[in-house]
Amino acid sequence: MQDFINIGKRIPKMDAEEKVTGKAVYIPDLKVPGMLYGKILYSPHAHARILRIDTSEAERLPGVRAVLTGYNTPPIKFGFYKDNPPLKANKVRSFRDEVAALAAIDPDIAEEAINLIRVEYEILPAIFDPEEAMKEGAPLIHEEHLGGKEKKPTNVLNLPWRLIAGDVDEARKNSAYVAEDRFKVTWVAHCCLGTSGCVAQFDMKSNLTMYSNTQIPSLAQKDYLDALSAMGLQGKKVRVIKAMIGGGFGSKLDTYAYEYIAILLAHKTRKPVKIIFTREEEFFATSPRQPAIIDIAQGCTKDGKMTFRDIRMTLDNGAYTSWGATTPSVMMMPISSLYKVPNVRYVAKCVYTNNTYSQAMRGYGNPQATFAIDSQIDILAEMAGIDPLDFRLRNANTPGEVTPQNFKINTCGLRECIDVVAQRLDWRQNRGRRDGRGFGMASMIHVGGGARVYKSDGCGTIIKIDDFGTVNVITGATDMGQGAETVIAQIVAEEMGVRVEDVVVTHTDTDICPWDVGAHASRTTFVAGNSARGAAKKVKEQLLEVAAKSLGESPENLDIRDRIVFSKNDPEKKSPLGKILRATHYAAGGKMVMAEYFYDPPNENLDKEFKGNLSVTYAYGTHGVEVEVDKETGQVKILKYIAAHDVGRAINPMLLEGQVYGGATMGIGYALTERLILQNGKVMNPNFLDYKMLTAKDVPNIETIEIETDDPSGPFGAKGIGEPGLVPTAPAIANAIYDAVGVRIKELPITPEKVLAALKEKTNLK
Amino acid sequence: MKKFEYLKPHTLDEALILLDQYGGRARLIAGGTDVIVMIKQKEISPDVLISLQEIPDLDRINYNGSLSMGPMVTHRAIEKSEIIRKNFSALTDAVDVLGSVQIRNVATIGGNISTAAPSADTAAPLLALGARVKLKSMKTERTIPIEQFFTGPGETVLQKDDILTEIIIPKPLPNTGSAYWKHQRRGALDLPILGVAVLLSLDKATVTCSDLLCTASPISTVLHSLEGDEVFCKEVRIALGVAAPTPMRAIDAEKLLRSKKISDELLEEVAETAAKEAQPRDSIRGEAWYRRDMIKVLVKRMAMKSIERVLKPEETVFPVRLW
Amino acid sequence: MKQTINFILNGEPVSVEVEPHLTLLQVLRDKLELTGTKEGCGMGECGACTVLLNGKTVNSCIFPALEADGKSVMTIEGLTDGQGHLHPIQKAFIEYGAIQCGFCTPGMVLSAKALLDENTKPTEEEIRHGIAGNLCRCTGYLQIIEAIKAVSGQ
Ligand SMILES: Cc1cc2nc3c(=O)[nH]c(=O)nc-3n(C[C@H](O)[C@H](O)[C@H](O)COP(=O)(O)OP(=O)(O)OC[C@H]3O[C@@H](n4cnc5c(N)ncnc54)[C@H](O)[C@@H]3O)c2cc1C
Ligand code: FES
Ligand code: FES
Repeated sequence: MQDFINIGKRIPKMDAEEKVTGKAVYIPDLKVPGMLYGKILYSPHAHARILRIDTSEAERLPGVRAVLTGYNTPPIKFGFYKDNPPLKANKVRSFRDEVAALAAIDPDIAEEAINLIRVEYEILPAIFDPEEAMKEGAPLIHEEHLGGKEKKPTNVLNLPWRLIAGDVDEARKNSAYVAEDRFKVTWVAHCCLGTSGCVAQFDMKSNLTMYSNTQIPSLAQKDYLDALSAMGLQGKKVRVIKAMIGGGFGSKLDTYAYEYIAILLAHKTRKPVKIIFTREEEFFATSPRQPAIIDIAQGCTKDGKMTFRDIRMTLDNGAYTSWGATTPSVMMMPISSLYKVPNVRYVAKCVYTNNTYSQAMRGYGNPQATFAIDSQIDILAEMAGIDPLDFRLRNANTPGEVTPQNFKINTCGLRECIDVVAQRLDWRQNRGRRDGRGFGMASMIHVGGGARVYKSDGCGTIIKIDDFGTVNVITGATDMGQGAETVIAQIVAEEMGVRVEDVVVTHTDTDICPWDVGAHASRTTFVAGNSARGAAKKVKEQLLEVAAKSLGESPENLDIRDRIVFSKNDPEKKSPLGKILRATHYAAGGKMVMAEYFYDPPNENLDKEFKGNLSVTYAYGTHGVEVEVDKETGQVKILKYIAAHDVGRAINPMLLEGQVYGGATMGIGYALTERLILQNGKVMNPNFLDYKMLTAKDVPNIETIEIETDDPSGPFGAKGIGEPGLVPTAPAIANAIYDAVGVRIKELPITPEKVLAALKEKTNLK
Repeated sequence: MKKFEYLKPHTLDEALILLDQYGGRARLIAGGTDVIVMIKQKEISPDVLISLQEIPDLDRINYNGSLSMGPMVTHRAIEKSEIIRKNFSALTDAVDVLGSVQIRNVATIGGNISTAAPSADTAAPLLALGARVKLKSMKTERTIPIEQFFTGPGETVLQKDDILTEIIIPKPLPNTGSAYWKHQRRGALDLPILGVAVLLSLDKATVTCSDLLCTASPISTVLHSLEGDEVFCKEVRIALGVAAPTPMRAIDAEKLLRSKKISDELLEEVAETAAKEAQPRDSIRGEAWYRRDMIKVLVKRMAMKSIERVLKPEETVFPVRLW
Repeated sequence: MKQTINFILNGEPVSVEVEPHLTLLQVLRDKLELTGTKEGCGMGECGACTVLLNGKTVNSCIFPALEADGKSVMTIEGLTDGQGHLHPIQKAFIEYGAIQCGFCTPGMVLSAKALLDENTKPTEEEIRHGIAGNLCRCTGYLQIIEAIKAVSGQ
């Protein structure tokens, strides 16, 4: 292995000092002179016609500067299906529907005023079950929405997700064993500790500056520009400035109504307008993980070779459409390519209901699909009488494989991951005792080398070097706490021969930073890392060229280490970077040392059949769990947790472990405790007491194992690791529970009630 | 948040006068962890808050066999009191898992029972420990058993002008152990699905055991391997939280056990009876059937735990999980 | 009616006029511009707003500002010394990767401080118990626990 100076080191995050001292500025901390405070009024009904809105009393309250409704604002529509106006007119379709909004000189007045708005509704029949909503005669959520061949009004979205490879029906006939089950997963919330918010500000020319906590600055910029156009502000500019982000996890991958409302209020009042969500709003008015009803069948031969996988899914789309509706495209990845399955069929339907609508969340559909797939692998293995460990090894993916979705598997450490988990759990000794303690495992695949979900999967980097040798890296990447900034600095430092402390990374301003499609698909280290490395190479070439002149040495013989340019032949010939820079800047006919690089990975968009090599490389991993189940109470305790991941290369093991710990902890919550409880469309637990994310007392010690496959396409061999940590958690736990007490829970979260009910049913059957 | 005035009387009398003066427009505030949250959630909207923080001595803990606590004793103070841990363990069990350190540092026992949430963690232990509470107004002062204190969810016998001034726990009989179990979904910051408190007084504190490992084995095994040595229950109180509109005693279950020889089978029956007496309901925090089932499991476990605390007094620390 | 409160803030006496309904968090953030103390829920449920009141952790979001009168308050800004040197707990948080988005960090650090002030060698159980009122969504807590162990010399 190469000797690295900065790569593979446990370097603390660059912004850690700012954060640990409370100096880091998040949106709620931001004050802009003259700023007003915005507040939103939501619907008290799941489905109702708006008969009348009376805002006069609110308008009269001293301190109120503007009151807006869907009736006096331009027709903006946002979201990828463009079915969502920031303020609703005529009809509300869910409890999170924004009916009116206002801006006032302080938050107390804003709150008082919002309570003075009177709205009359006529309640309409509502529907909360996607399977019911598909039926003929179900109440229509969007009457104007037409679908199907006949173009009839329907609640089913025109998103026919469908992946077919091989011949599933034939394969099914030839299978020795077939398992068929229904799994269900529900809404869970991102629970970013910092609530959502923004400050919108117009200048005198009506150009917009948005202080935002978006994960997708460039795409958000486009969304806001579209909104400005709808407001009659064509040709105006939008600048997005990112503050520190108090957690992302996918929640900030789309724009929200509140952002447009802030823009509308700022435009109306000609003053900066800030909107900060309360925790309650964060729970009910941001978009959770996509729920799904999953009908799955898988088969295998007598000796445990998988023959087919057949999945039908119904997705509760909620009342509007955001990225949740596109999670099936990512679900196709594990469905087609987790373990070797020659024949695959997958169809999914998204159906409008009067529930909340969903968004991206760490794993983007993958955890949902993997829960069903890898839980059922254990079921199938048992039918075939094969140890689930052997079953997985027999069907494990291998390097060089082309999967049914045409993924070209490059490096692949799945087998190693499975092996090491089995070894750490002492699998062969321990499994199968059914004595209240149990062992389980599950695996995952995820994109690890970008994901071409848009036409481009690119990211730009600019690097310049100042007079004193400081390397300024200006990147399109977004750091939301995961440490992108630091990893990029490490990559640049390694490539250029400077120290990480010499690198300053700027990633917060669309007026300055180059373009990027955003922090999603675990792509930042890979794509932004490759981009930064490309720029670093170019800038280093330039540097050595100018240094060559002043040192009287040819550039090939020069290198940089610790900010010193030196000759590889003659140790006497050397000069500090800063000195060389100053010499170039001050020389007659001087020159600036600067380079730009755009990296767009050589991956493919999915074609019409949803096939294509989506990512340059794929990340694999396996989690193993030991649980103890209290047979009397149904409570599950995790005794041991092993997380093995093929990470390509760990550029910063400490940050990487942080991603895995955080992901697995979120995954354990997904498996055992977390759910947004919706009753007739209303979120019943919009607070941290009743929404059960794990506390420090609940996390088990997690053992991480990094399998380094040194991917040739990754920056210094690295693959993405942002999401993988939570993908296989739930099935691993479900499998361990089955091993402990012999009950199979197919619905998340696996609450004590469900375990106990299943245990009782099992004894009754006996 | 709604605006209010904030008064800080320096004596109890002053506080009583203020309460009398403002009547229904005022609310007492102790640690404020319920009051402020309720105001923020617009559940109440008092014009005046009367703070008890400046009144001296309301946070005292006095022990002379029986225990007397002022209403302003914080959960954290209880958590740290070795006397309470040793003699009134059920109460320690309750505060150990109440909210978080931050909450326990300010939240008080008086506030906890005065809010009278069906989920109040100290309520069931206080019932099991046989506590009495002293209530004072300008006109009257009365001491009542805690059973009579709770009248409904969020409702107590406290009148608008009453202040709860003392909580008294009588001296336990010899050979008494008590335990509380908060059945919850995570280790902290949680409200109970069900709370179960048991107090048991035995006729003896040492037993001879056929099994050499007696001291190491769980109490259920100990009960099985008693060598002609019979253990009788002299007194018992079983209290349940979130099992009815108010924290409740399982009287029938207690009757079944009182003065009887303790056995595994009997404890099972006692727990079944307690489950029958309860009237749990469905809520987002738990389903009725599950709550009822858990009464069966947890009453027995808490009885075992209480016995264990008599027989093995050195192990007063409560394990995080029971199994 | 506004009232004046006097208290020691990060070692310095301060005097502020406040409306009686304000929380300590509002006074710290809005009046004194100490935005290091965060609001994650406003209901006492997450610990992001943790400050030390006479050395003990409280959730400032539900703590009446008037009750700080005559007390000593420490916020995250007070933890670094006058020369800007980080406290050992802060250093350990940095060194052990205990910080991701950082929103929980100020409160978490102060809970760790209160814990260690009281118990210089806490067990892992005691550490978990001590910081259980501080939710963190990013880290899974493990590196935080490691950092606290490290400060206590374990
Ligand atoms: C995040 C969080 C977690 C929590 N977790 C738990 C938990 O796990 N278990 C649990 O049981 N509770 C929990 N609670 C609720 C609360 O903390 C407790 O009920 C606490 O004991 C209330 O005490 P306090 O001093 O803060 O009361 P306050 O809020 O000050 O007062 C509560 C009520 O009692 C009245 N009152 C207070 N003192 C007196 C008195 N001396 N005489 C008459 N009336 C009085 C007040 O007027 C008010 O109506 C939690 C609260 C929060 C915010
Ligand atoms: S903001 Fe105070 S506890 Fe969450
Ligand atoms: S670091 Fe993000 S919440 Fe803790």
